[in-house]
Amino acid sequence: MNPFLRYLKIILQIIRKDIQVEWRGRQGVPVMLVFSLLVVFLFNFALQLSPDLQAGLAAGLLWVSLAFASTLGLNRSVSLERESSALDGLLLAPADRSAIFFGKSLSNLLFTTLVALVLLPIFSLFYGQNLLNLSLIPIILLGLWAYTSLGTLLAALSIQARTRDVLLPVLLYPLALPILIAAVEASRTVLSGGTMEESRSWILILLACVILFNAAGLMFFETILEE
Amino acid sequence: MSKKPLALIILDILSLVGVLGALGLILFRTPVEATMGPVQKVFYFHVASAWAGMLSFILAAVAGVGYLSTRRFSWDWLSLSAVEVGVVFGLIAILSGMIWALPIWNTWWVWDPRLTTTAIMELIYSAYFILRSGLNTPESRARLGAVYAIVGAATVPLTFFSIRLFRTIHPVVIATGNSGSTFNMSPRMLTAFFISLVTFTLLLADLVWHRYRLAALKAKRNKERN
Repeated sequence: MNPFLRYLKIILQIIRKDIQVEWRGRQGVPVMLVFSLLVVFLFNFALQLSPDLQAGLAAGLLWVSLAFASTLGLNRSVSLERESSALDGLLLAPADRSAIFFGKSLSNLLFTTLVALVLLPIFSLFYGQNLLNLSLIPIILLGLWAYTSLGTLLAALSIQARTRDVLLPVLLYPLALPILIAAVEASRTVLSGGTMEESRSWILILLACVILFNAAGLMFFETILEE
Repeated sequence: MSKKPLALIILDILSLVGVLGALGLILFRTPVEATMGPVQKVFYFHVASAWAGMLSFILAAVAGVGYLSTRRFSWDWLSLSAVEVGVVFGLIAILSGMIWALPIWNTWWVWDPRLTTTAIMELIYSAYFILRSGLNTPESRARLGAVYAIVGAATVPLTFFSIRLFRTIHPVVIATGNSGSTFNMSPRMLTAFFISLVTFTLLLADLVWHRYRLAALKAKRNKERN
């Protein structure tokens, strides 16, 4: 088989496997969803938010809750492979190991996007702010893609440490700052009635993050996983 | 462990003379800035240590590339030493900046791109130590530390750029344009400034070298123990 096709096939197989595991266990998406709702509720009291939230606050709250919730899913997605040495099986796949990176990060993207899609209408109900805005979708996709790519890379790093469960957020949040700033600003522009054109520079930053972190995964995932 | 090399002794002396000389120049030979007063003299060592910190983080990433391509532990010792020294220089830059900011901006802290990026860099590289301390073998510390140092350094320009874009859209209450670049330096100020920059670069090389020797010594001791 053509090596490129085989590479793509391995990526798809990993995504399919993750969907299957998630469908049978239902331990990732529901946890992330409940956690993101908890963050939304906690912030309501911690910051005394009014029911009719301004666009800026709504965008910030949305992204903070998505970022916190995805950390749980990222940690789980990689630690799942460590349990009963499932990773050893994955490493036998006849392709460059970066295929594992793309498979895992894309399945993480799928799950976090699912969480976002459920969170958006609930969020809109509670805060009287219509987040069901079509131009918000590409921003969420792009932001989550950048975030889960970086997160998958760093989760593969942190999983090898003794302090694995607490390490990921400490590694991830400072490096994810440009993603969060750009995603919040792009969403804020769209939510306050701006056009895609006005948030163009933020979308470009998100795109740069996607490219940078996927390139990092392509280059370093093999190195991270070697033992 | 080999004897202390002559070049390092010379570097020690040079950086000591440099620091004392620069201090003397700054305290006694540079004019007092017209609007800011004596507190402006913080500027020389402030910018120099920010420069040294930035340089050592770049050095850490380059040494990370060196380790990953050659797998020689000496690159890892260099990378670790550069991060450690860089974090100290970053802290000096932040603290000295705060001393200057209180009388000039009337606050300890402003969420300006440069300040925020420096603070985030300190956090990124604090996480580097946490990562290393959780790993068991010198090999995994070196390998994963190198990856993190490279990815970390790659995000710094993106962070800086996005904060700057963020701040130009949001007007800030306190104008931050006058932080060093807009006041005109007299020739004496310029001399003191450049001498500080050169001195801190030498000091950086000196400290990293010392820290590198310590790392090499530690690795040797661990080897003999096993």
